Amino acid sequence: MQEKKITGKKLLGLLRDNSVPLMFVIICAICIPISGFSPSYLLNEIVTRVGRNTFLILCLLIPIIAGMGLNFGMTLGAMAGEIGLILVSDWQIWGIPGMILAMIISIPISVLLGTFCGKILNMAKGREMVTSYIISYFINGVYQLVVLYMMGKIIPIKHFSIKLPRGYGIRNTVSLLNMRQHLDNLLAINIKGVKIPVLTFIIIALLCVFITWFKKTKLGQDMRAVGQDMQVAKDAGIDVERTRIISIVMSTVMAGFGMIIYLQNMGNISTYSSHSQIGMFCIAALLVGGASVDKASIGNVFLGVTLFHLMFIVAPAAGAHITGDSMIGEYFRVFVSYGVITVALTMYETKKRKMKSRAGQQLEEDQRKEEAEANE
Amino acid sequence: MNKKRTLLFRVIAVLLLIAIAAVMLVIGRGHTVYFDNKAQTETGESFEAPYKVEVYVDDERVAKLYEDERGMCTNIGQNFKMVLEITPEKGADPYTVSVGLKLPYNMDGVIINLPALLAGQPASVYQSEFIQTIPEETEEEEASDDMGNIDMGEM
Repeated sequence: MQEKKITGKKLLGLLRDNSVPLMFVIICAICIPISGFSPSYLLNEIVTRVGRNTFLILCLLIPIIAGMGLNFGMTLGAMAGEIGLILVSDWQIWGIPGMILAMIISIPISVLLGTFCGKILNMAKGREMVTSYIISYFINGVYQLVVLYMMGKIIPIKHFSIKLPRGYGIRNTVSLLNMRQHLDNLLAINIKGVKIPVLTFIIIALLCVFITWFKKTKLGQDMRAVGQDMQVAKDAGIDVERTRIISIVMSTVMAGFGMIIYLQNMGNISTYSSHSQIGMFCIAALLVGGASVDKASIGNVFLGVTLFHLMFIVAPAAGAHITGDSMIGEYFRVFVSYGVITVALTMYETKKRKMKSRAGQQLEEDQRKEEAEANE
Repeated sequence: MNKKRTLLFRVIAVLLLIAIAAVMLVIGRGHTVYFDNKAQTETGESFEAPYKVEVYVDDERVAKLYEDERGMCTNIGQNFKMVLEITPEKGADPYTVSVGLKLPYNMDGVIINLPALLAGQPASVYQSEFIQTIPEETEEEEASDDMGNIDMGEM
């Protein structure tokens, strides 16, 4: 009887811990048959989207290790990547060399923005997520100033296909046609109509290996120590602030690379909006995979990106089939994205409070016991 | 000593990145190559256009040009190789010519006059820059900031 109770409790705990991924599995299981998509179509779409988004989501892991929560500031790296791509488009550097050059251009911008973000986050310890979210809006304003007013006037932009007709500023959309899917198509294989972008997956695998290796290095261990308890880490001689800045810089640089991989797949840049939602979607995907604010793994990334994008693909079609209006599905997937972040954050806070209260109760009990023993 | 070594590694890393960027700038430069199959008379000499020219790049036919027609293809890098299958007159047997060209770095679009090229003329005769005419746009594009409203485009 006792054993059954324990097993039941364990099962309940497991369900509670994985409630978000389970919810998405159920949503997808309902929506897939209603959507009417063939398995090969779904598989093709999922493989494409996993290749497109995984690198970006992986960049969120390092700040989580360092205890800085979900890095909404990854948008900063995305902007750096976009600036690299705009310049490369103007210089007419195409294909993979264009991507590599854009990545190299993005590095110093990402490092600069990451350092700035890290320093501010050090001033707002304990409120990293909301601070990084607002920083992303602030830097978005700076980005617009650079792209809308300085490019063409101060930063030379030659081509009129990129420049606004007034002679300065960048158009709303910049074509990356000469770079489109060059990375995905190199070494791509086709299995029963499903295109597998092997090179993109190799790059993602290398990043996974790097993250796993990095966790074992001195710096990685320092980050983990900082993430667990800043005061203890400081007492152990770790430069907490520097470690935190490094984690944000690494995340920002990776986000820049990820954005370039993402945009080469899409084939164009929405100059003023591509980056604005990328942080939100990546964080939502990671949370869907079962990650939390203080714990995330590579497995969460892959599960999250698969489930989240499966929902993204099937929801509009399922919505159209049920209600006759595809916009219902569009709304559904959008509010689910925001909703999952809200649910995950609420669950994290609730869990934290529960653990605190449990620790308090334990302390109270211990004190009572001690007092009782002393009285005896 | 340790600080010096760190600095040295950083300098080497930066130099390496700059070197890679420089290589990418050269090998990744894209050009649009236009092929003109029309008689060229601008230089004083006249080079007659063949009846038909088929242009193959990487074993793929990119253009089939009759007299006074223009074709195009894209190329990454300055080395451009193509195979021309030329039919001098209607009903005549075609013959092939392999051509390797160096494209000028500073030109986005390069026009190659095939009759002049086949006549063995220098690059200054058969090569010219394609200058795009800028379409007149009256309405200015405005950049938009959605201030956090979700973009429901493809993700």
